[in-house]
Amino acid sequence: MKTFNLNSIMWAVVGLMLLGGCDKTPSPPNTQSKSMANVVGKTSTNQDDLAFAPVVPGYKFKFPRDHLAHNHFRQEWWYLTANLTTETGEQLGAQWTQFRVALNPTDLQATFPHTTDPQTATPQATDATPKSESTWATQQLYLAHSALTSSQTHLAHEKWSRRHSEFAEVKLDPYQIRLDNWRWQSETNALFPATLTVENPDFSYRLQLNSQAPLQFQGTNGYSLKSRDGQVASYYYSQPFIEISGEINRNGKVERVTGQGWLDREWSSQFLTKTQQGWDWFALRLNDGSTLMLFQLRDQSPAESAKNAPISAFYSARRMFADGTGRNINSTDNPNDIQMTPLKWQHTVNGDYPVSWQVKIPSENIDLTITPLNPNSAMPLSTPYWEGPVQLSGSHTGTGYMELTGY
Amino acid sequence: MNNKPLTKATPTELKQIELKQTELKQTWLRLTWLSLKVFIAHYRHAPIQAGAILLGIALAVTLLIGVKATNDNAVRSYSDATELLSQRADVLLTPPLAQNTLDESVYFDLRRAGLSQSLAVVNGKISGKNGQFWQLEGSDLIAALTLQKSRSYASTETHSTTSPQMNDLPLADLLNGAPTVIMSRSLADKVAPEGKLVLENSTLDVIAIDDNFGLGSAILADISLAQQLLNMQGRLSYIAMFSERENLPQLKSQLDALGITPQKASFSQQDQGQALIALTRSFHLNLNAMSMLAFVVGLFIAYNGVRYSLMKRQKLLVQLLQQGIERRALMTALMFELILLVVIGSSLGFISGLQLSHWLQPMVAMTLEQMYGAHLLPGIWQWTWLFEAIALTLIAALGACLPLYLDLTRQALAQGANRYQQMQAHRKTHSIQFALACGLLTVAALLFPFSQSYNISLVLLGIVAIAIPLLLPQLLHWGVSALMPLARPGLWQYLLAETRELIAPLSLAMMAILLALSANVSMNTLVGSFEQTLRTWLETRLHADLYIRPPSQRIDTIQTQLMHDPRVSGLYQQWQIEAQLSLPVSTDNPSEQTIPVSLLSRDEFSTRHTSALKESLPTLWQSYFNAPVILVSEPLAIKYQLQLGDSVSLDALKQTGNSQAIIGGIYYDHGNTRNEVIISQPLWQKAQLPLLPVSLAASFHGNEQGSRISEAQLDQLQAQLATELGLSQAEIYSQTKIKTQAIAMFKRTFSITLVLNSLTLIVAAIGLFSACLMLTQARQAPLARLYSLGVSRNALRAMVFMQMLIVVLITCLLAMPTGALLGYLLINKITLQAFGWTIKMIWDWQAYGKAILIALTTCTLAVLLPLYWQTRKPLVASLQQETL
Repeated sequence: MKTFNLNSIMWAVVGLMLLGGCDKTPSPPNTQSKSMANVVGKTSTNQDDLAFAPVVPGYKFKFPRDHLAHNHFRQEWWYLTANLTTETGEQLGAQWTQFRVALNPTDLQATFPHTTDPQTATPQATDATPKSESTWATQQLYLAHSALTSSQTHLAHEKWSRRHSEFAEVKLDPYQIRLDNWRWQSETNALFPATLTVENPDFSYRLQLNSQAPLQFQGTNGYSLKSRDGQVASYYYSQPFIEISGEINRNGKVERVTGQGWLDREWSSQFLTKTQQGWDWFALRLNDGSTLMLFQLRDQSPAESAKNAPISAFYSARRMFADGTGRNINSTDNPNDIQMTPLKWQHTVNGDYPVSWQVKIPSENIDLTITPLNPNSAMPLSTPYWEGPVQLSGSHTGTGYMELTGY
Repeated sequence: MNNKPLTKATPTELKQIELKQTELKQTWLRLTWLSLKVFIAHYRHAPIQAGAILLGIALAVTLLIGVKATNDNAVRSYSDATELLSQRADVLLTPPLAQNTLDESVYFDLRRAGLSQSLAVVNGKISGKNGQFWQLEGSDLIAALTLQKSRSYASTETHSTTSPQMNDLPLADLLNGAPTVIMSRSLADKVAPEGKLVLENSTLDVIAIDDNFGLGSAILADISLAQQLLNMQGRLSYIAMFSERENLPQLKSQLDALGITPQKASFSQQDQGQALIALTRSFHLNLNAMSMLAFVVGLFIAYNGVRYSLMKRQKLLVQLLQQGIERRALMTALMFELILLVVIGSSLGFISGLQLSHWLQPMVAMTLEQMYGAHLLPGIWQWTWLFEAIALTLIAALGACLPLYLDLTRQALAQGANRYQQMQAHRKTHSIQFALACGLLTVAALLFPFSQSYNISLVLLGIVAIAIPLLLPQLLHWGVSALMPLARPGLWQYLLAETRELIAPLSLAMMAILLALSANVSMNTLVGSFEQTLRTWLETRLHADLYIRPPSQRIDTIQTQLMHDPRVSGLYQQWQIEAQLSLPVSTDNPSEQTIPVSLLSRDEFSTRHTSALKESLPTLWQSYFNAPVILVSEPLAIKYQLQLGDSVSLDALKQTGNSQAIIGGIYYDHGNTRNEVIISQPLWQKAQLPLLPVSLAASFHGNEQGSRISEAQLDQLQAQLATELGLSQAEIYSQTKIKTQAIAMFKRTFSITLVLNSLTLIVAAIGLFSACLMLTQARQAPLARLYSLGVSRNALRAMVFMQMLIVVLITCLLAMPTGALLGYLLINKITLQAFGWTIKMIWDWQAYGKAILIALTTCTLAVLLPLYWQTRKPLVASLQQETL
């Protein structure tokens, strides 16, 4: 019988954000709690993994189908970050993420009627147990995070739910992503225009999202490699050019905000190599109108990898333009083109994080110093990580978002 | 002034004085230590003496700790009661008035409104393989598990059940509605050792999780499976909500804004187990009282042991004093000895007490679940219990032994204690005790008629229980004296004369055995009477042949089918909803009190003939069917002191335009602790309450016209009907089966009481054994003397045996009226006031005989053993024994 424990699900979410991790090797006790690759609990040789759909090159994206959930892949997310400014000029950051975790490979036709592409339909991906008639029966877990960050405060919440058509799901007509009262509501079956609503006891926001730019496909046409040996990959597309206006409410005080947002969509079934510990991910908006997606997957323990250069890590980046064009820079093609150096560490409730970075990409003439709006942007949720707005200086100025995990 | 020479003393002198003082101190300590060493040597020589003391203390503490652990755990369980695998709910949204379930859309509304701290729950009875019912609980497991998570971030307080590491929970199967249920390991081991359980004709996989997760004896499933099994698709039993206390008003208005009105779901604040604690208080009080009784009986044994060992050391102590050991040192040594014995004995008792509680808890859990629907958490224990036990035992032991010690250490150096004076002193004590006992009994007799609450009655019962053993020594004297004229001169007269002298040393053990016997007899009387009353009551209550409780959706069809069935001679219905009863404001009742009740209605025939009325208005049946007249159950009437003719208000009657109703009758409701009210069918319909009955009952034609159907035919018919109507074995019951099950349930409910009671009797028997044993041993010298004078061994044995027998028999005889008295009070005061059940007292000769038999057997053994030992020793050794 297939077993799945809740802790490992929470950790699987870490794995999600880390773009995966499938390793049962016990880690040394001192690193166990923070070493994400060790706790996800599934090896890629596991029978169950084989039953989940694999990520393969050459996938043809189709919309709105691929805006929906891909239930036969183990994990998936809808990830929005926004750099906002109030009418009084205060800088803010807002984050909303909805994650999906599959407990078991699901029958494709039953739960994913949009799948017609033979590439995604694998023969193993059928349900072992007879389908229950209950509307509650599901193999999909959803969870969502929301945060609002100013230079002084950082507020974060999370919600969990089983998939249920009444309160936690992703659906069309019109397009909607929701978990309880946190909701992305599009006007049509397209992503935009849309309204994102998040309500919490201490903060809430309601943001109008709009974008005219084409979607950006990361990696090779949306096939995003996560390891040098090509073993691990995900499907990954972004919309880095979102115009935002709306209002936020902090403890009853309502303010109008405007700004720019960035949406990431990613799904996969197998994550991380055995030695990968965590990642540092950046979504940066440069003052020349371009955007830069950049991540590194760190090998070894975080202390060794981040504090002592040179780091053994897998890099990937894409410089993107509003007309839909872009250039990829990654460890495979340009092994030494990206240099990332932590400049400053911050002690937070979740532990120590490198909150300030120097990033150099000579081929793109980029040399940036990245500093956080609020160094205490740790997310003290069931999966601890750091995520918050950043400011850029150096070769370019600008704003963006940074995510640090596995520390 | 005294200090003057000291202040003037030279430093050397001062030093000398200091040295002398230290020396003295050292000498005193040394002497204490020396005496202690002598005592230890004594006990090494006579381990049976130390053993008797330790045994007494250990037994006393065992029962004390056993019951304390059991009770504390139960009370903790009520206040820590959580939603399964989750937190304690602060608010419950329950089905609206007159409905059993609520629509699950209410839950969806809550979730969509962001009230994510809510948990959808379904529960219900479900039939197993052998027609037995199981309670199935189902909830949205992800909500249950993650609510707990988010709560534990918020609160720093640690509950024993908050942090289940949900290892190996097969969520993939559970969430998908696969046939998988979760149970605590101990329940799974019991009911599904193979990991499979058959419920409602489907075989379910059983996942056993650690008992610490607080599932108790519940069977938990995900809602996706539970709704299907319980046939509750789209329905919920209740919604548990979690909210800080100060946010409750806000939550209430939020619900109003969402349109969740009382028509959709009723809102009730949770009381953190207070109601359950109050409801079960009498039950735990009874257990406590019994454990205190056993504690006292155990201490009797210890006290007896101490007395005996001191008596055996009388000469030794005098010798020590003669050797120049200070009385203070001797006293301290004795104290140390006692403390040491208490600590060792209590520790032993603590360990065995925890074990005892481990055995008792499943029994208590059964009772509490049957009677009050409370789930028990796995047991915990605390070191403080040990310290409490030691302190309590030490205080009791010091109080009892101090006079003994003082007497001994004060005795004259030239030993020649006046035996006659001692006897006189004993006689005086005994008559004082008797007078005191009479006083106490008078007080109890005067106060009992005025006691309305079981708390006070229990205190009065305690007074009676104390008075009973105090009566004994004097009564023994009188008893033996009364026998004197019957005795022939010679050995017979010697026998009786000596018996009188034995009363004093034996009295303590006999007091203990009397107390235990009386308690045993009274409890047996209570349980036996209750069983008989219950049987008679069931006989009245159950008149139909088959009782049917189909699922609510099918009751209509089944009713119609039965109505047209030619085999059916009579069809009876019962309707039921939950309602609120309000008492009018009066002087006793300054603020309006609302009581949750089960509101029932039955067809006219059933109401008239099976209501087992305790009392009713003379015009009850004339007015019952056409006026707002109600019947209330006896527990409800007693708890709230409702009288015939009282006017009360029922929320369920609102639709009739008048929610007031008159109490027209009070009916017996044995074994039911819930409050119940019955109204007539016309009134039920006028109040627009649900038209569909919840259960049906049917009588059938026998083979011949007008005859009742035979048992064998009925079995056949039952199986036939079950197939025809598509009912499971658990949905259709014969009258006989209900009776058997009710009695079985009753027996399980009282098993804890009977076990404790037997334990007390065993403790007392051990006490009697040790007292007889020591006494006979102590009498070796006079017996040897008699033997030397030519009394045959057989005559001696017979004599000793007769003496003990006389004392024990008189005690047993006394236990009959005292046991009856205690039994009467238990039945007519305590049980009536605590539970509200009138019970007809039935005297149980068999139980009485059994108790006496135990006492006599113990006594025989205790006498014969030392006599046997004596015959194996040289006569001179016995002659040299210290005399009484």
